[in-house]
Amino acid sequence: MDFKRIEVIFLIVFFSLDIFLFLSFRNSQQLVSSTSTNTSTVAEMRKRNISFGSLDTKTGYAYYLGSRPDESLAQNVQKLRNQKAEYEDVNHSLTSTLSNPIAITSADKIKIMDKFIKKESNVLFGKEYKYSPQLSTKSQIIYVENKSHGQIYDKTAQLAFTVSDGEVVSYTQTYVKSMIILHERQTIKSEKDVITNLYANSEIPNNSKITYANLAYTKLLEAKDSTIYIPVWFVTIKNKDSKVVTTKKVNAFTGNIIKSSTNGDNNYSAQ
Amino acid sequence: MKFSRLIVQLLLVVAVITSIVLSFFIWTNTARYQRGQNIDVSSTEANKNEIPMNQVISPTSVIWHDSTDQHLIYNSNENISISIQKIMQDWKINSPKLVSKKNGAYYQKLIQSKDTIQMVYPTAITTGTLGYLLDNNSLKNEKSDQFNRILINLKNKNDQNIYLANDNNYAVYKAKVKNASSEPITKLVKKANINLRVRLNLMKHGVFTFYVDPIKLKTYSYVISGKQDGEYTTALFDSNTNGLVTSEDNGVYTYNYGESKRLVSDHNTEELTFEDYTDTSVPKTQLAFLQRGYQKIINLQNSVSNLRLYNANWKEKDLVFREYVEGFPIFKKSQFGSIRIKFSRKGSTEHFLNKVLEVPVPSDQASTRLKSTTEIFKGLQNVGYSPNDVQALEVGYQWESETDNEKVVDLKPTYYIKIDGHWKPYDEWTNESAEEE
Repeated sequence: MDFKRIEVIFLIVFFSLDIFLFLSFRNSQQLVSSTSTNTSTVAEMRKRNISFGSLDTKTGYAYYLGSRPDESLAQNVQKLRNQKAEYEDVNHSLTSTLSNPIAITSADKIKIMDKFIKKESNVLFGKEYKYSPQLSTKSQIIYVENKSHGQIYDKTAQLAFTVSDGEVVSYTQTYVKSMIILHERQTIKSEKDVITNLYANSEIPNNSKITYANLAYTKLLEAKDSTIYIPVWFVTIKNKDSKVVTTKKVNAFTGNIIKSSTNGDNNYSAQ
Repeated sequence: MKFSRLIVQLLLVVAVITSIVLSFFIWTNTARYQRGQNIDVSSTEANKNEIPMNQVISPTSVIWHDSTDQHLIYNSNENISISIQKIMQDWKINSPKLVSKKNGAYYQKLIQSKDTIQMVYPTAITTGTLGYLLDNNSLKNEKSDQFNRILINLKNKNDQNIYLANDNNYAVYKAKVKNASSEPITKLVKKANINLRVRLNLMKHGVFTFYVDPIKLKTYSYVISGKQDGEYTTALFDSNTNGLVTSEDNGVYTYNYGESKRLVSDHNTEELTFEDYTDTSVPKTQLAFLQRGYQKIINLQNSVSNLRLYNANWKEKDLVFREYVEGFPIFKKSQFGSIRIKFSRKGSTEHFLNKVLEVPVPSDQASTRLKSTTEIFKGLQNVGYSPNDVQALEVGYQWESETDNEKVVDLKPTYYIKIDGHWKPYDEWTNESAEEE
């Protein structure tokens, strides 16, 4: 008879052991999901009402690029028609006021301007530029130079149209003719690396939207009469409450955040 | 009565089985949980701005032997040896078997074999280290056979092997390779934009790369960077720098952290020496030796993308790293390269220069045309150094500071020659230029 009692005690003991094991099994599973790498950061960002599209995890390659000062704009300025153009030697920039301002609306401005810049008598080397919604504002339409290695987001290779009262009245142009590769290719940080890193450094506030994340070359420094460009991630963040838009720049080689507000004027130590 | 007892027994059996099953799940699950953590660690490491170890310890020159001649090749847009290493990561490499040892004739024949690409490390590493760098499990557990050349035949379909060769004792190992194709490597070879005809010759002090014709090499310019002593002390001492004792004597600054660590910074030569008397363990394996050296250099410098392991002396536990440009080493005004690390029971020592190549800049200087290597040996003989006196000879870049711009240096190619344990450029040995007239 005692044997039966032992059986009952064993049953109770094993039953409670099962409950304990089951609970700890569930706990450990929860731990797995919370440690799974960057996805947790992404989930945390979504929880804090930061919205963004899918993030690319691919790491690519990029170069150090260099360009020499170039006077192509000055040499070809006589080709321009129906505008008053002035060339400035110091910045190698061309500033031009249009004789007939172009009327635009927010719906058709890209189409109209794309067509306008294609004609050589309107804008020199216009075919080499591409519209950049990330850099454009209400009062400025920005086109950036599109090179074989990628786009250049920099004041040394830009076409900036000034908009006033629904009309494009003037533009400022800078131009880089050719770029040379200065060093063998190097791996760069992926979009996901950069954005999770920005978040980890408290650069992305809660309740905001990442509107753009683009990789482009920008000026690092000038040395020996040449300009050196490096790949940089330009991440634009829009605060959903205040509607304030800020653009963060991250060195794509090192992943370091470049602390400067103006585009293209970062000095060497910003690396 | 009997029936209820049967139920209790049945339930007991079920409860025991459930507990066993659950225990099994928890065991396997914990393993998964730990693996998950490992992934986490490696991803945070990758996020730090680190150059991977297999770039710092990688072959620096690639020699391609087509059906007639040997060529030193390089692609200034894409590093060929790093790309080949990436390709090799997918190969299945069996454990290497010794083919021959101390047989100079066989060795010469092997390193001159046709349709073969060879990648040359500046110093010998072990097969186990190669397994670690390629993340190849079967090589990882290999015993420590040393080699400094990897040879791959790209044409012979019957030879499914790679050969590992060691210049120091003419040992040759053969390892069977599966899952490999020569096609991607052939493509990389075709893309090379620097191509110099060479011949590998066995001499008294080892294998010498002879440039058959005069060679034309580019001049490079770089922006250099340095750090303040304070940045080094924060990185090298523990973050708490309260106990720091500083003294200065003729531009030589000494920082002591108690009795355990010391940094000496010579502001005249910009050479620094760091001694850590707490780091008294000596690495037990070659791999640990190189790993610890690698950890130390990434702790010292932010930008190690040009840095390569130049010499590993296992006996003396001494490592030398040098900066490279387009496959050629850079010789600075110091005898130790860029960084020298030594481990000993008394503590570790790090010698380094506070001048690092940071950003490449277009050079405004014309290319340099250097004499052929035979001419160089003739020149040395004229001043009394026989070919047997020459311990090593290498084309390298000389570091020339610009007087008007101290942030920029020019790198000019020349021949560097090691005689009596000292590296000097050719013109310092002979008073004669290495350039072609």
